[in-house]
Amino acid sequence: MSSTTVDKILKEIEAHAPSTRAEHVGRVTAVGDGVVAIDGLSKAVMSEVVLFEEGKGKPLSEAMKAQTELYGLILNLEEDGVRVAVLGDTARVTEGMTVKSTGRVLSVSAGEELLGRVVNALGEPIDGKGPFKKTTLMPVEREAKGVIDRRSVSVPVQTGIKAIDAMIPIGRGQRELIIGDRSTGKTTIAIDTIVSQRNEPKATRPVCIYVAIGQKESKTARIVEQLRQAGALEYTIVVDAPASSPAALQYLAPYAGVAMGEYFMDKGKDVVVVYDDLSKQAVAYRQLSLLLRRPPGREAYPGDIFYLHSRLLERAACLSKEKGGGSLTALPIVETQDGDVTGYIPTNVISITDGQIFLVSELFNKGVRPAIDVGISVSRVGSAAQRKAMKAVAGGLKLELAQFRELEAFMQFAQDLDKATADAIASGQRMVEVLKQKNGAPIPMEMQVAILYAAGQKLFADVPVVSVTAVEAKLTEFFDAECSEVLAEIKKTGDLPDDTKKQLNKQIEEFKLAHPELFEKK
Amino acid sequence: MENAYAEALWKMIEAGEQPKAAVAKLRAYLERHGRANLLPKIAHALMRVAARESAKRAVVLSVARHKDIENAEREARDILKELGTSAKDMEMRVDDSLIGGWRLEGRERLVDASYKKSLLEIYNKVTNSIPRRSDVQSEVGAPTEASGYNRATE
Repeated sequence: MSSTTVDKILKEIEAHAPSTRAEHVGRVTAVGDGVVAIDGLSKAVMSEVVLFEEGKGKPLSEAMKAQTELYGLILNLEEDGVRVAVLGDTARVTEGMTVKSTGRVLSVSAGEELLGRVVNALGEPIDGKGPFKKTTLMPVEREAKGVIDRRSVSVPVQTGIKAIDAMIPIGRGQRELIIGDRSTGKTTIAIDTIVSQRNEPKATRPVCIYVAIGQKESKTARIVEQLRQAGALEYTIVVDAPASSPAALQYLAPYAGVAMGEYFMDKGKDVVVVYDDLSKQAVAYRQLSLLLRRPPGREAYPGDIFYLHSRLLERAACLSKEKGGGSLTALPIVETQDGDVTGYIPTNVISITDGQIFLVSELFNKGVRPAIDVGISVSRVGSAAQRKAMKAVAGGLKLELAQFRELEAFMQFAQDLDKATADAIASGQRMVEVLKQKNGAPIPMEMQVAILYAAGQKLFADVPVVSVTAVEAKLTEFFDAECSEVLAEIKKTGDLPDDTKKQLNKQIEEFKLAHPELFEKK
Repeated sequence: MENAYAEALWKMIEAGEQPKAAVAKLRAYLERHGRANLLPKIAHALMRVAARESAKRAVVLSVARHKDIENAEREARDILKELGTSAKDMEMRVDDSLIGGWRLEGRERLVDASYKKSLLEIYNKVTNSIPRRSDVQSEVGAPTEASGYNRATE
């Protein structure tokens, strides 16, 4: 042991003052699956954190072995006691154990130090990179900002996904639901959105928080690695409440994530929080509620299941200038069963959010990725935040695609179709190809504008449908090499004036001349 | 169901009803409603209620050794007054795991003036201020023991 360590120990011993302060306590009377009934604690408050005293009756050496303290969260206040969700291993709780009131409501660590880290639902680091040195405590449950503190959504969150940025734009401070069956690319959209923030200037780049609820540890590890490789982990916090963690932690994880986000929002920064996914949080809450003996309602969910999600998503906000001008964008994910959006949890969350991106298995299996059903996907406030340039190229795109989906059924009678219908189908097919995008490859806004402008100018009309993706890739390379000034101008102004359009037209013609082999001769 | 009846019976007795009369009233009520077969279960539930209530009222003073009792009683006198009890109503226990000092628990209050608590507090403070080997491991993805809820925070 070094002399400094000995000095530290001596200092601690000298500074120690034994306290005879009375603590407010209760006694464990029953232990269930993650839920404990406690007698006493009559002055405790809702959502208060309690501490289980594990060392009682044990020799000092054994009491010292406990690496971590065991906490619980009061979820029910009853006549003779309280019911508590254990925030850890329930096996450590025994009947008769003394439980101490801490007098504080549940809070989590928040701060710049958390960026690039993986934490659990209590804000504790779980990535092996050591403890946090200095963080701020943020309450897990906090009232959402009021009307006066807010302003309208006006700045876009660039997801880097053409189909979304063009047709279902998301604004900073918005709540946009990503909904679909299992394996339809919901998480991919969220992760691509996080990766895409790398294209934003550092000063205005949103802090990203990915909350994994009830996910496999392997999936979360893969996502963390993906973010690290893309250079996105440095501005991201991953909150992990895996499927193996207690239901209480899975229930708390989204609130922990939003509390960490509010720290940055209060400082005037923009934040994007992904909740992956809220269906699993609802299931965890149902489990807890049933164990707490709360009366079950539809599908055995408790009566306050709507409030569970509304109070979480209401905390997304775009703050007024007086309040610092920060924002918190929520991207909740909900899993549907067999494409049924009329399920209990999906309808609840759809009604709370400002729009939804609906992903369909059928499109996914056809190779249309992202598999967005344009017909029922909507962004209710995002268009106000869309850049002028994007508005100029994306206007009518959604309608065109929706019409194409309607006409698609007639494709098998292609020979008998009139020219207008055949043209609409041909154009729609090409537009679908243009909007296809690989995962993990978000495209900057200015490049999206240039590509969609080219598509709008019928550049792909002479390209066979199967070759559209390849031609688009070549066009992207060409724009990157030859149009950097035009692209920079679009990025800077966010507009697409006639001059810029002329320059783009010129470049498109040059591209055609440079690659005649890509186009069919009429 | 039996718990509710037991609670009601306990409250009747608490309110001053004679136990015999209270039980008779309950029995008559249950017979009227065809629920007399609940009586044995109500008896068990009543025992649980009684045990809970007596545990709520009990005050236990624990010391590490017999010879510490006198000293502990003297030191805990003021706290006992606060709790509305006196030394003669108090249960005494010897718990050698306390090492020294005393610990008073009862009526939703706990005062722990044992040496064990002091030593544990010093140990936790020292081990938190000196980085542990598990805290500084650098391998990405390798899980570490959680650092204790909000331990290293402002």
